[in-house]
Amino acid sequence: MANVNPAMDGKIPQADVKIAKKKRSQWFEVWLRLKKSKAAMVGLAIIVILIFSAIFADFIAPEGIDDQDLDRRFVSPSAEHFMGTDHLGRDIFSRIVYGSRISLQVGFIAVGIAALAGGSLGAIAGYYGGKLDNGIMRAMDILLAIPSILLAISIVAALGPSLANVMIAVGISSMPSYARIVRASVLTIKDQEFVEAAKAIGANDLRIIIKHILPNAMAPIIVQATLGVAGAILSAAGLSFIGLGIQPPNPEWGSMLASGRHYIRDYWHIATFPGLTIMITIFGLNLLGDGLRDALDPRLKN
Amino acid sequence: MLKKKSFIILTSFLMIFTLMVTGCGGESQDAATESQPLIVAQRSDAVVLDPHANNDQASSRVMRQIYSNLINQNESMELEPGLAESWEAIDELTFEFNLRQGVKFHNGEELTANDVAFTLNRALGSSHVSHIVGAINPDGIVVVDPYTIRIATHEPFAPLLAHLAHTATGILNEKAVTEAGEDYSQSPVGTGPYKLSNWLVGETVELVIFEDYYDEANKAKIEKVVFKAIAEDGNRAIELETGGIDIAYDIIGTDVDRVANHSDLAMVRDMNLSTTYVGFNAEKEPFNDVRVRQAINYAVDMDLIVDVVYLGTGEPSRGPLGGNVWASNQNLKPYGYDVEKAKELMKEAGLENGFKTKIWTNQNQQRIDIAEILQNQLKDINIEAEVSIMDWGAYLDATAAGEHDMFILGWVTVTGDPDYGLYPLFHSKTHGDGGNRTFYTNERVNELLDLARVNVDPAIREAAYIEVQEIVRDEAPWIFTWTGEELTGIRDNVKGFKNHPAGHHKLWSVYFE
Repeated sequence: MANVNPAMDGKIPQADVKIAKKKRSQWFEVWLRLKKSKAAMVGLAIIVILIFSAIFADFIAPEGIDDQDLDRRFVSPSAEHFMGTDHLGRDIFSRIVYGSRISLQVGFIAVGIAALAGGSLGAIAGYYGGKLDNGIMRAMDILLAIPSILLAISIVAALGPSLANVMIAVGISSMPSYARIVRASVLTIKDQEFVEAAKAIGANDLRIIIKHILPNAMAPIIVQATLGVAGAILSAAGLSFIGLGIQPPNPEWGSMLASGRHYIRDYWHIATFPGLTIMITIFGLNLLGDGLRDALDPRLKN
Repeated sequence: MLKKKSFIILTSFLMIFTLMVTGCGGESQDAATESQPLIVAQRSDAVVLDPHANNDQASSRVMRQIYSNLINQNESMELEPGLAESWEAIDELTFEFNLRQGVKFHNGEELTANDVAFTLNRALGSSHVSHIVGAINPDGIVVVDPYTIRIATHEPFAPLLAHLAHTATGILNEKAVTEAGEDYSQSPVGTGPYKLSNWLVGETVELVIFEDYYDEANKAKIEKVVFKAIAEDGNRAIELETGGIDIAYDIIGTDVDRVANHSDLAMVRDMNLSTTYVGFNAEKEPFNDVRVRQAINYAVDMDLIVDVVYLGTGEPSRGPLGGNVWASNQNLKPYGYDVEKAKELMKEAGLENGFKTKIWTNQNQQRIDIAEILQNQLKDINIEAEVSIMDWGAYLDATAAGEHDMFILGWVTVTGDPDYGLYPLFHSKTHGDGGNRTFYTNERVNELLDLARVNVDPAIREAAYIEVQEIVRDEAPWIFTWTGEELTGIRDNVKGFKNHPAGHHKLWSVYFE
């Protein structure tokens, strides 16, 4: 990385160190700063637990996602059923554990779609400028003008409710923010000397964008993506809550919340645990996102 | 900065949580007075107040108070004189009605036979209510004198009188409709006990007493009635408990006991005319094989499902018609829960290894629950079902087009006449949009339904309908599911309220004590 932040100058070894090592050390720096923030560590811990439970759901969950037993409905939280059972006699804890797969999948893939599509559009717009820039960014403005959840609802309503369509809908609806961020970063970077140097030795545009510009615009994208995962999970839960998301019997947290809400006055646990899970997940991702923001951009630190 | 932010996030969560726990406010209610309005909550606001512009329950419930019909159907579904004092059949196609004299509309006009003729002709031109008035021959609507009108049908049509009691055939004032033009729905004029005073679309409809109501003895007892839309089911019960409303329609199963046991509230429960069913697309493989449809009927424990999903409200259906529809056959042999028998039938049909299928439903929590349990139980006979929850409009379109496999839907036999509850659902003429979304075809059923529609002899009609229901049971285009119940919660000081099985309850007999 050529344009090293001035703040890091002191800690980076002298010029003859290999580029690979420089990269590692820069990320190591970020990690050190991130580690200092207790809140970010709590966030990270929550996310790690979630990822862990998503991967090892088969071992953690005592039951399957659709093990109905109509004779043991509405069982309160107990040793046997950690979070109780729902209105169809299914173990809520198991469903929440399996639900983490769906939520994380939706979160990461939707953000992936948004970052990839939005990021490339933003990079093209920023790099080439002119009419192309204007065209792409005005299209993004149009998307931004529609509230993102409304946009997602219309997309799912048009495509039909399913896991893949929810990811596409949430992805498309959060695309414009990535386009804006990437475009802004590209604009500040594209006139710097190392880009000119690359141009001078004959690198083509694609190479310059991918190899030289994007790596230097990574920081804001990572922050936006971390916070974006939270937004995507929340949107997916919202879509499922109104019945437009993942189809039953898949244990999406939002739909568990929706089907439990009728019983909330008699059996609080059916709606409460999925709700708490959503809340804690979003909270964790937001803490981590905030921490990353501070860690990646030391200038923001007061 | 970070700390501050987390603090704000934490505080907002706490605030949201507090709001959730305490519920959002509750209007305090003063002691009952004469002029105290009657506040009635239902799931959604009226869509229209023009009987020909739509046909939905929320609108009908309001329009019932604003309009009167030629004939009324009381809570036992018996016909009673309304705007027509008397009527007689003058031949097998034609009825002659003698109108009450001196009946005033809300705009001061007097009711004449011309208004009745105008109303029926206008209804005939509306796609929303054509299934209710379609049998009437426009050339057969003849005004004999200002207080006498003849109404003839294309073919003999036995259930005509019940159709004239439907809210969709409430009598309009010709002058009011013509003057209001496109805006008629916002300024409805009827002859009913209440007239519209204010309508906040999507929220409340306010009605005030109509002093010149024709039926002196049954004039409204409360000055003002307010219909309030409260979409969330649980919130209607909570509002009722806190005294924000006086009557809550459609209390859900989880709240029934709470309302019934509450010291200030009471439940008014009566079986209604609605039915919920699981339908097969009988034209599509493998459901075109009657053995597959029967096998699925054996494979699901419908009594248990109904108990689990509806929590003891309503009752499991014993046939396509609910018990209080005339000529309903409640002696049909239930399939019962018999997985072995189901497996046998699947084997006979060559499908012992099962198949993949889809169960469609709309965004109705009870139907979604039914679909999920069905999905689970059908695994026992190797049927792998996928549940799809669809938007209401898309759902109706797709099931009308025959794109579905299995679906869950409801029907209300509003007129209480079996013709309304069987003809649209099982006659092959009504495939798709007409109501027969199973695309079921049976020549004998067609023949019997046609016969019973044109025959005026109750004994012949009853025999025909009984047989139709037997055939439908045996050929299983449906899994009979649930017969609904009117579940109305009222405050203790509300007296004189009675459920109407069709769901649009009279409010002019209600008074405070």
